Parts: sequence; C-alpha cells; structure tokens
Amino acid sequence: MTAVDPVSVEGRLRSFQSITDAALSRLDDRDLLAELLDRTREVLRADTAAVLLLDFSSGHLIATAAAGLEEEVRQGVRIPVGRGFAGQIAAQHRPVILDRVDHTTVLNPILWAKGIQSMMGVPMVAGGKVIGVLHVGSLTPRKFTAGDVELLQLTADRAAAAVQSMTAQADRVAAAALQRSLVPSALPAIAGAELAARYVPGSGAIGGDWYDVFCLPSGELCVAVGDVAGSGLAAAVIMGRMRSALRAYALETTDPAEVLGKLDRKMQHFEPDALATVLYAVIEPGLDQMHLALAGHFPPVIARPGQPAALASVRPGSMIGMGLQARRPVSTLPVPPGTLLCFYTDGLVERRGELIDDGLDRLCRAVTAQPAEAACAAVMGALVGNEPARDDIALLMVRRQAGVEGDADA
Amino acid sequence: MPDVSFQVEMAGDVPVVAAPGDIDITNAAALRTALLEAAGRGRMFVVDMSRTQFCDTAGIHALVAAHKRAGDDGSEVRLVVTSATVLRIFEITGFDQVVSCFTSLDQALAAP
Repeated sequence: MTAVDPVSVEGRLRSFQSITDAALSRLDDRDLLAELLDRTREVLRADTAAVLLLDFSSGHLIATAAAGLEEEVRQGVRIPVGRGFAGQIAAQHRPVILDRVDHTTVLNPILWAKGIQSMMGVPMVAGGKVIGVLHVGSLTPRKFTAGDVELLQLTADRAAAAVQSMTAQADRVAAAALQRSLVPSALPAIAGAELAARYVPGSGAIGGDWYDVFCLPSGELCVAVGDVAGSGLAAAVIMGRMRSALRAYALETTDPAEVLGKLDRKMQHFEPDALATVLYAVIEPGLDQMHLALAGHFPPVIARPGQPAALASVRPGSMIGMGLQARRPVSTLPVPPGTLLCFYTDGLVERRGELIDDGLDRLCRAVTAQPAEAACAAVMGALVGNEPARDDIALLMVRRQAGVEGDADA
Repeated sequence: MPDVSFQVEMAGDVPVVAAPGDIDITNAAALRTALLEAAGRGRMFVVDMSRTQFCDTAGIHALVAAHKRAGDDGSEVRLVVTSATVLRIFEITGFDQVVSCFTSLDQALAAP
C-alpha cells in the first residue's frame, strides 16, 4: 500500500469528525463503540477494529467491542497489561505498529488464526490514565503510517472520553440504587419503641453512609450506623458487604465489641484497603439497657425525660480497617421509659471552620425527649436547615415509649 | 473536582508532605498519592498538618493508607498536628493510637 498524502489524511479526518459529540451522546455505550469502530474501519480502510477496556481490579484488558473480529468479544478475550500487543500499548502508554502478526508478537491466538497481517493500536487515555486500547488490523500486508496513527489516536481519545463519562454515569446510577436498597425504607415495628430516620445524600458523589435496625431471635433490638471512607459505587459495595457481615455476626453474639471485632477481622482480611466508622448498639429485650461499642464513630446523643440531652459516655474504639487488634470498650447505659436515642453520621455535625465539639453541642441542644419523628424533624431543621449538605447525612432516632402500653403519648 | 497535587519536599533526608487546610473528598486522593510516594523513600516521613483545620474520613483514609504502606516497608509516618478539631477526630477514630503526633516539624524531625 502507498503512503497516504496529507490532503487525503485531512479529508479522512473531516469525514471522521462528522460523528459529532451530539450524535454520540444519544447512543448508549455499546452502540457508541460499535459506531466508532465501523467508522474507524471505514476511514482507515482496515479489516478489523477492536476496543479492549481495562478492568482495574484485575489489571486485564477485556475485549469489549469489535468489528470484523467479533469472536474476540464473544470469547471474552482477556490480555494482562504488559503482555502481548495490546498489553504493551497499555503498559507503555504509546502506539504500537506490528508488521508481523504471529505467536511471537501477539498473545491472542484469534488474531493470527484470523490471518491478520499488520496491526496498529493506540492507548485510550482519560484523565491521564489508560482506560483501554483501540486497535485495527489488515488481512493483507500493509505499512501503517504516522498519519494513520494520528487518526486512530483521535478516535481513541474520543472513545475514551465517551466511555469514561458513560462509566461514571452507570456507576452513579448503580451506587444510588445500591444505597437505596441498603438503607431500610420501612423501619421495623418494635413493641414499646418508635423509630424514625432520615437519609440525605451529599452534594458530591454518593457516599458510604448507612444505618440498619433489626431484631435478634432472642428479642434484642440492634442498631448499626456506619460511614465507609470513599464514595461512589466502590464505597456503596463495601457498605453492602459490611452491613450483611455485621448482621451475620450479630446472630452469633450479643456482645457489641465482639461483633465489631469480627467485622474488623473480616474486613482487614477481605477488603484490606477499606476503612469505615461503625457504631453498634444492642438494646436488651424490654428495652431497659443498651450495650454500645464504637469503631471510630461518634457516640449517640441520649435524651432522658426531664434532662438535657448529652453524648453517651463511651470510650472510643478504633475504626474498622485501622489495623488495631485491641478489643473496643463497651458501655452499658440505662434507657428509662421516654428516653430518645439519636444515632447519626459525621455529615450531620461536621462543618468547616468550626470545632467538632461545637457541632456536637448544637446537636445535643436540638435533641429532646420527644416522639421520634418529631425529633428527626427538629434535628434536621436545626442542623441542616436549608443548606445543601456536602457530605451524606444519616440520622436514626429510637425512642422508648413512655406509656405503660407504649402508646399513651405516641 | 479541583485538580490538586501535593509536593514531597525533603528536610535533610526525611520526606515531608505539607497537607492542605481542609482535607476532604475533593483532595484526599491527591494527598494519598503524595503520601504513598513519600512513604517509599526512607526510614520515616512527615505529614505536616500544621495548616490543616479539617480532616474528614476521606482524609483519615489517605493517612491510614500511608501509615500501612510505611509499616509494610519498615518505615514510620509522623504527623505534625496543631488543630484541636483534627486531634479530636484522631481521638474519635482511634487514629491517635496508631501514629505519633507532634506539635511542630522540628519536634517531629528531632524525636528519636
């Protein structure tokens, strides 16, 4: 094949740019990649074109879309970064041209079995990171030129931006759906207690705040509140795992420190990079006492009838994932009839340019021993008001009813 | 998200990372990158948080990652912390039990 003159490169470039961003934005990711590959094959007069996207957790490039080489996708081809043709492009962050395609240069047997003679591939880069590889191939021997590389890189840049924005969008939707499924929409009905809750996502990405309320077969009422460091889908997934692990350990023992200890051991082994604060409380059947342990979480606020509300007196325990082995302290606190327990995450009390203790004082002043729903409304009104929250806020009120039958004042 | 990066400076042979005034989800990832780079450079390194007035769980996450990396490499992280709010967060989270905090850079460098 002869070298392509600059005029025709420009012409091809123009024809390629006819795929406008507006047109692309109407396609979903599969259609978008298919469209880009078809157009790429056409303007470069190539026989095959394929996109491999990087799976960050495994470090493999995974065949995601292909034209003229559909079996690559159907067979789920995976190439480790650093190995073979595509693996080198991703590892070295630069285009690669192959004039010989066989087992010495290409890892994926589909490519040489197909009879591809020449190949050219470029990295797909978004936000300074390689997110995949785009390559084209020719069934007849061909010398790819610098102009060809330039054109392919242009396509790859466009595809990378589109893929990244679609991935981010899909992650946001998935994280929001996961978060909704993990925060109970209906709180359990507990004889002698009333519950109310609020959950407000922060203005940034979905965070990893959650709360959980459940009863044990032996009758204890259990409350967990937590905050996973990080945001988006990754944090929501870890939150889901922690929530179900905590429930499982709760069935084994009513000692809250033991439950947190087991949860910590599980997380350190299976999710060594995760870090989270968790509060876990076990309220005895009959609701007279609460056993409470903290893993880096703020203590609850307790309002007993006729007394000002105060932070529960409990010594701090280290966060889940911090790496400490020490058993966390447990406090046993009386819960006389009419007492309101207020559990929350840091988004409720932390404000920039202010001491944490000022935020906690403000919360204590806003909490009074009143019905749970009214208490939630009062606290959100006093601490959040009309301000959009930067961070997630989770708030859970548990009130032991004052009347003998439990409904005298509800 | 603002584009931020943090430099690792050397005090003699000790890497020092100057942490920003607020550490939160918008800059914690960049701070983490700088901390992990510093963590691999010697027998200890210092995070100078003397300007830091706010540090949320994202910030603690970055610091814990650096502390763990240092531990794996047989190295040590030392913090310079002056803000009462930051010290309180360290106390609540239990982070004060795993790292050494100092009130000035000189103290952090001079400690045995």
